[in-house]
Amino acid sequence: MAEISEASSTSTTDPDFDPETMRKSKPGLKRLSLTLTVLFSYLLGLPFLLKSIEIYRSPLPFREIDDLSTAIESSPIIFPCHFRAVFVNFDPNSYTADQLSVSVQAYMAKLATKNSPACGTCASNFTVYVTIDSNSNCISNGNNVDWKCGALNEFKVAEKRDDGLLDEYLESVFYNNNNNNNNSNGKVYTVVVVKTEEEEVSAVVGKYRHAWIMGRVFEEQAVEKIAEIFVKVFVNGGKEEGLIHGELMPVGADGKIVLSFNLLNADPHDWIYDWDFREIDENLLAPIIAALKPLADVSVESQVLYHTPKASFSIWDDKLDSYIFSTKDLPFFVNSNEWHLDTSVAAGGRSKILQFVVYVPSAKECPLRLQLPNGEISTTNGFISPMWGGIVVWNPSACLMDSKLKHPLRRKISPEDSRKVFEIFMGQLRQLFGLKSDGLFVGASGTSVLLASERGFSEWELDVLSRQHSCFNLLQCGTTLGSISRLVQSLPRMIIMDDIGKQVKYSLEAAKLTLSNASLGIYDASAESSRQARLLAEDAFYHPSMMSVSYYSFEHCFAVYSPFFLPVTLHVLLAVLREWKRYKQESKKYNAWQAKVK
Amino acid sequence: MFKCCLHSQLQFRSETSLESDHLMGSREPIVLIFLILISTYESSAKGGIAEELNEEFTEGLLLRPLPDRKVLAHFHFQSSVPPTRIYGRHHHLFPKSIYQLVNKFRVREMELSFTQGRWNYERWGGYDPISSSSAKPPGVELWADFDVPLDQVDDSWRNLTHALSGLFCASINFLEHSTSYSAPQWSFHSFAGKLRYGTLPREAVCTENLTPWLKLLPCRDKAGLSALMDRPSIYKGYYHSQRLHLTSDDFGTAKSNAGTMLEQTLTVVLQPNTLGARAMVSGKTLQPSWSLNSLFGRKVHGKCSVSKSSNVYVQFEQNLVSELKEVRKKSEAPESGILIHDDFGNNTIFEMSASPDRVVKEVENLQKEDSSILLEFLVEDYNDSKPFDLGLRWKLPVVWSCQQAPLHASRFLMGSGNERGAIAISLKSLSSNNTPTVGCCEKGSQLRINIFQVVPWYVKVYYHTLKVFIDGELQSTMENIEKIHISPSEDKVSPGVMEMILRLPCGVITAALTLEFDKGFLHIDEYPPDANQGFDIPSAVVSFTDFQASASFEDNLLNKLPILNELQERKHVISYTEVLLVPLTTPDFSMPYNVITITCTVFALYFGSLLNVLRRRVGEEERRLKSKAAKKKGPLTSLLSKLSAKLKGRPVEPPETPSTSPSLINNKLVLKVILVAGIAAGWQYYFR
Repeated sequence: MAEISEASSTSTTDPDFDPETMRKSKPGLKRLSLTLTVLFSYLLGLPFLLKSIEIYRSPLPFREIDDLSTAIESSPIIFPCHFRAVFVNFDPNSYTADQLSVSVQAYMAKLATKNSPACGTCASNFTVYVTIDSNSNCISNGNNVDWKCGALNEFKVAEKRDDGLLDEYLESVFYNNNNNNNNSNGKVYTVVVVKTEEEEVSAVVGKYRHAWIMGRVFEEQAVEKIAEIFVKVFVNGGKEEGLIHGELMPVGADGKIVLSFNLLNADPHDWIYDWDFREIDENLLAPIIAALKPLADVSVESQVLYHTPKASFSIWDDKLDSYIFSTKDLPFFVNSNEWHLDTSVAAGGRSKILQFVVYVPSAKECPLRLQLPNGEISTTNGFISPMWGGIVVWNPSACLMDSKLKHPLRRKISPEDSRKVFEIFMGQLRQLFGLKSDGLFVGASGTSVLLASERGFSEWELDVLSRQHSCFNLLQCGTTLGSISRLVQSLPRMIIMDDIGKQVKYSLEAAKLTLSNASLGIYDASAESSRQARLLAEDAFYHPSMMSVSYYSFEHCFAVYSPFFLPVTLHVLLAVLREWKRYKQESKKYNAWQAKVK
Repeated sequence: MFKCCLHSQLQFRSETSLESDHLMGSREPIVLIFLILISTYESSAKGGIAEELNEEFTEGLLLRPLPDRKVLAHFHFQSSVPPTRIYGRHHHLFPKSIYQLVNKFRVREMELSFTQGRWNYERWGGYDPISSSSAKPPGVELWADFDVPLDQVDDSWRNLTHALSGLFCASINFLEHSTSYSAPQWSFHSFAGKLRYGTLPREAVCTENLTPWLKLLPCRDKAGLSALMDRPSIYKGYYHSQRLHLTSDDFGTAKSNAGTMLEQTLTVVLQPNTLGARAMVSGKTLQPSWSLNSLFGRKVHGKCSVSKSSNVYVQFEQNLVSELKEVRKKSEAPESGILIHDDFGNNTIFEMSASPDRVVKEVENLQKEDSSILLEFLVEDYNDSKPFDLGLRWKLPVVWSCQQAPLHASRFLMGSGNERGAIAISLKSLSSNNTPTVGCCEKGSQLRINIFQVVPWYVKVYYHTLKVFIDGELQSTMENIEKIHISPSEDKVSPGVMEMILRLPCGVITAALTLEFDKGFLHIDEYPPDANQGFDIPSAVVSFTDFQASASFEDNLLNKLPILNELQERKHVISYTEVLLVPLTTPDFSMPYNVITITCTVFALYFGSLLNVLRRRVGEEERRLKSKAAKKKGPLTSLLSKLSAKLKGRPVEPPETPSTSPSLINNKLVLKVILVAGIAAGWQYYFR
């Protein structure tokens, strides 16, 4: 401009000056600085733009989630357990209480190591107190052992052979003691060993938290048996390996179970059976629902369906005088086309529905019996399907009469029959929860009788279930939270609502509470809080706003902004480059002139 | 254009509806009627308590030949359960899902209908109970009345629509938006603001809706009358409407023993298969003969074993009965003084494959001596070896017409363009002698017509433009409207609702209502996928409050049968108008992106040129230009001049003086033009 034109005019005067390669004036920085300012303000504006198109993501505690899931996965939660062994009529001089305690613990440790520490057990986190009651005086090795000396003498064990009565009596003894001491530090499981003159040694596990061994037993034998009852029954719930896995606990994510009872009349042309479900509900099911309260909210519903043939075939067997379906047919027994065992409207989205089906066969397949693989006929005539429910085939007595009536028979299932059927259902429910249904525990050191509770589940079984339940819930909660954190981190353009953040936070808090409750040995509270943790985690995972990932993806953003930013960027960058080049060129010229002048 | 018109009937159970129009004037007869009603109610209640309360299921089928060679089949199923406080919550027959639904959402009354096709009021009748209760608007119609506090009604409605949507595999959940349902005040039902009404005119109805509906029946379609429901047969009919009506008084203070009642009906209009040419007798075509097997392709193998009663009825309408008498008089000797129902199995006019177990005659309390006749067939006596297949064969041609509604209602759009239009509802008297209009409308009295119309918010109706035309002349609006309630639409919040009672003079021939509207604009997200198809305005409901569509039968024993109860229920005559299709302006849906792109490009251009102007050096450029002009030509021009020289065969000319340059520029111009033409030719050649 001014300088350049000036330079060109002076060039004629100076012979040394070559206007192509030299210039006299210093090159101006005006335009360079202008383009650079534009570039920098442009670059500075970028964060503001990114901020303006940012989507809302509630901050999630990723680290805490990771900590929790690693903590849960590395070591399953272990509850502290307290055991007590009472030796009645034993000689206090042969073994001391401490010796007995140590040997019981040694056996228990041996049994516990055999199977890897399962979720919700005590592993090696237990204490054993031993009391020796030798009629005259009692010796204990712990300070909080509260066994009333000679308590069993009052009951006269040898005379009364009624297990039920003894069970109640022991409960009253322990209950009183517990109340007196107000010892709330977890629950104590007790085995009472009574030395009697009888040859036969019997072991019975009661409905509460105690068991007893009677007969002519010696300390060594008793110690082994006590350890087995502690570990296999009280801690593991008397389960055998290969039964339903503990993680398949049929409880919905929201902690609800719907027991849906269905009476299926395969062909109402032959006969129509009805039941008095109201009575069954009030008399038989109500105590069970009450018993399961700490574990899950159980609700009951029923329906009667008609025209519901089974989907598998059965064959007539002359020897057994009945139609036979074998265990191979069981996968095809449930006819999902015709059995519209509706999902319940009353149950929320994630409740677990367990179907219990009474199948009344039609006249042309009556009586219908289930043949076991060993050729025998099943005594219950029913089967379960894990996580689905149970089926019982109930053969009406009318089918033996073999009379083709013109009008279908309308009858009610008699109260005795329905009681029987519901006892089978109770067994099936116990099996679905992973417990034994036959009332016998066969261990390495002999068979123990498990007394059945009228509430369906005895107290030590409920303890086992709530321990397992809290452990399983916590595992599930950990996996769900882990999935959320992985998902959220892998999708950076996903909107995360505050609700989700809150739910995750509360879920973590509940999980921590579970862990602390578990370490204190409060089973009920830990089951409750673990349920809460899992429910919140699942709520967060299935939050409807999680679907908003499909909107406002990066591609969308790019498509909207590129028509502006692509050309503008090009202009700005090119301008800076050109000006920079020109400046370098011009300053070279100036330097050349300067050199010449000097 | 897609146009559907259906009519149906809503039940008016208000106390005033119990008054017959003849007793309107005076007070005493009303009191009397109440006394009678109360006493009958008490006696029936006592009878109800005496017998054991139990669940009941009944099934019934009503067949009726229609004048236009079609057959109406009306299936009726009813399940009832005593109230929960007496009976408990475990049921043997009543569907569990419906019971849970009623209890969870506290539904007092609900009606859901799925309809395909359009009820032809002119040919299939508009005055009888079936056309009033089972003729429904196309698509889905749902109304429900809740027993919850007023502020929870909308929540209950939303939850109910979702539950029903899952239960019936339909998109009823689209009724959850406040723009798609309305709360009628008084015209539809009188339930103090707790009733919600919504329709989905475009819902496609098919087997996936029928199967869940059948699942609510204890026998499904395995046995009983429902076994007739062969899907291809019932869906190829001219009209198909499945309805579910639910009443419950489990809630509230009333200690009645009615409990919960579920009424399911399926109404189909079928064309009997007439193989080959139509049978002709003495120059007239015979009505087609049909049987259950030819209509449905199936037979009835006995009743559903849990149903209390299972009957099939064939109904001959009043006009058909009088026509039959006429035909018989002509064809037979005068000794045909015998009553028509003496030989229903086989007579000179038609023949039935089975003789009816009973013949029931309607008691017409008003005028004519002829009244409709029901032939009852009991399905109980039939079984697998002896299936029930009812057939009707005509021997003589018979022509008759159905009883018509007092006025024929239709609705149409006026105006053109995408900006504004008008809705017109026209009511036309069908000037034939057999309409009851003549008899009912006495001198000096007036015909009252109740109109209920819901209009979506994007059709902005100007209610002040309401005009009433009677017999083609514009009338004063205020004089002809007895009562009107309007809740104008609110954009994106609620639809516009109009309820009115129109008072028309006796003997009116045509009446019309017009309302002008503007078409609104929707947000781009609110358009449905097929926006160019247009938008539906749901059917308007026109009810004739002075007329009762009910039949009463002579036999009192029949009162126990729900299907006949349904016929005898006193309801207003109701017709539904057509669904209107309003085309709205649909935007170019790529518009937002186009706008973004153009705006951004303009901005980028502006920005770029601004930047270029800022760093321009004007002086330097001028100097450059000058020096360029002073210098010789560039290498390209010299090359070109060499080339042209060679072509001309002349030696290369020395560079010319500026004075000769214009000719060179001309050469350049010619070359450029040739280049452009060549590119254009190539383009044309390759991209043809």
